[in-house]
Amino acid sequence: MTSRRRPSWLDIAAVVAVVGALVFAMTSPRVEAQGDSARMLFIHVPTIWLAYLAFAVTFIASIAYLVTKKLNWDLIAGSSAEIGVVFTTVAIIGGMIWGKATWNVYWTWDARLTLTAIMLFVYIGYLALRRAIPDPEARARRSSVLGILGLVQLIPVHFSVTWWRTLHQTNTFRPRDIQMDGPILAALLISVAAFTVVYVALLRHRYELAQLDLAAHEAAAATEGPVAGDAVSAPSIGSSGA
Amino acid sequence: MSDHFWRQALAVARRDLDRERHSGEVAWVTIPFGAIALLLVPLAVGINQDVLERIGTGMLFVVVMLFGVLTAVRRTNIETPAQRDAIALLGVDPVAEFTGKSMATAVLLLVFEVVMGAVAVALYGLDLSGWGWMVLVMPLTAIGLAELGTLSGAIAASVQAGPALVPLLVTPLAVPLLLGATQTVESIGGDGGNLSWLILMVIVVLVLAIVGVITARPLQETR
Repeated sequence: MTSRRRPSWLDIAAVVAVVGALVFAMTSPRVEAQGDSARMLFIHVPTIWLAYLAFAVTFIASIAYLVTKKLNWDLIAGSSAEIGVVFTTVAIIGGMIWGKATWNVYWTWDARLTLTAIMLFVYIGYLALRRAIPDPEARARRSSVLGILGLVQLIPVHFSVTWWRTLHQTNTFRPRDIQMDGPILAALLISVAAFTVVYVALLRHRYELAQLDLAAHEAAAATEGPVAGDAVSAPSIGSSGA
Repeated sequence: MSDHFWRQALAVARRDLDRERHSGEVAWVTIPFGAIALLLVPLAVGINQDVLERIGTGMLFVVVMLFGVLTAVRRTNIETPAQRDAIALLGVDPVAEFTGKSMATAVLLLVFEVVMGAVAVALYGLDLSGWGWMVLVMPLTAIGLAELGTLSGAIAASVQAGPALVPLLVTPLAVPLLLGATQTVESIGGDGGNLSWLILMVIVVLVLAIVGVITARPLQETR
């Protein structure tokens, strides 16, 4: 018999937040120049924000692991990176769909786009490394180094629109130079907040799963490990009949 | 850092360079392979001299990065687990080991870069004005790639999928170095933007060095 867990208040908050954000996104004023495709903004900006947030959490948790040597930090780092990879992929695909509608191409060799794709590969490598190392301690130490190194890539991605001034618009949130109508900005901020709640809920679930994985690994290691002398059998004396 | 530290680092670097002297891997395998890659590009994109001059510098650094990654990874993956254990038991400081390995790899990569640069100039007819910046760009690229390769080699040491995994780990992380190198050369004669790119490269090299030094001990403990 299987038991189903009740959704937590965080799960409910995540669902309510997303529904609320969707309502605001769909009812916000239409942008004349771009039509309804501009509403992709309400998905695209929050997903890339979540990717940054998730990888920043991976970075911080990796440092915390190296300092404290507590495996829980590594589990948080790995869980957050997984969510980051998913949301980066969604952000790239969403951006491509928007790009087709606006620029008439799915992909353009824009600095932000290209570097975001490369950032995705950094964290795919991070996840591949985690899968390749079965021992939790070794996995934690090695992947934490990569979790810290990943930040090297985040810097050019974030500043790319300023450094190159290419097709991609500059950073959306510039407190001193807001060029967005009030209702659209409000809908965007609500969407970012809603996606952040979703991230926290997903991180919590993935972290719990990682803890269960770790417990299962430890249980298996405690019961299945070979014992010294297992391979040695006692010689049979006098059974040959000779 | 003490004399003892530098003695250990130099001993590790000397050992790695001795290995290269005996095996000749960079000289007889990587350099010819890189040269073939530079030779293949015009066959693929066409032999229009204007196009080749325009893409030449970029192609040079792409080849340096991809083949340099192979060199850096190879240098750090030739040790057997028993050799790594022996080095740890001998009490070699992990930071000195990281420094020594990075130094040796950087020297080899610098040689590789210089030869590839000469091949690119010969094949693509690159304009050499302003290439004085290469005196800074090439060592920075070599040091950065060497640090990345040494770090990634340590991360993936003794991992079954290690040899396949390391290029995936290193290549995306080397992108800031590639950008810095190509943009420094591309922006020569502009509004002084090349200095900003050079600063980016210096920052990346420093960050890699700091991460390498901080994580050398924890990484040695997991090998």
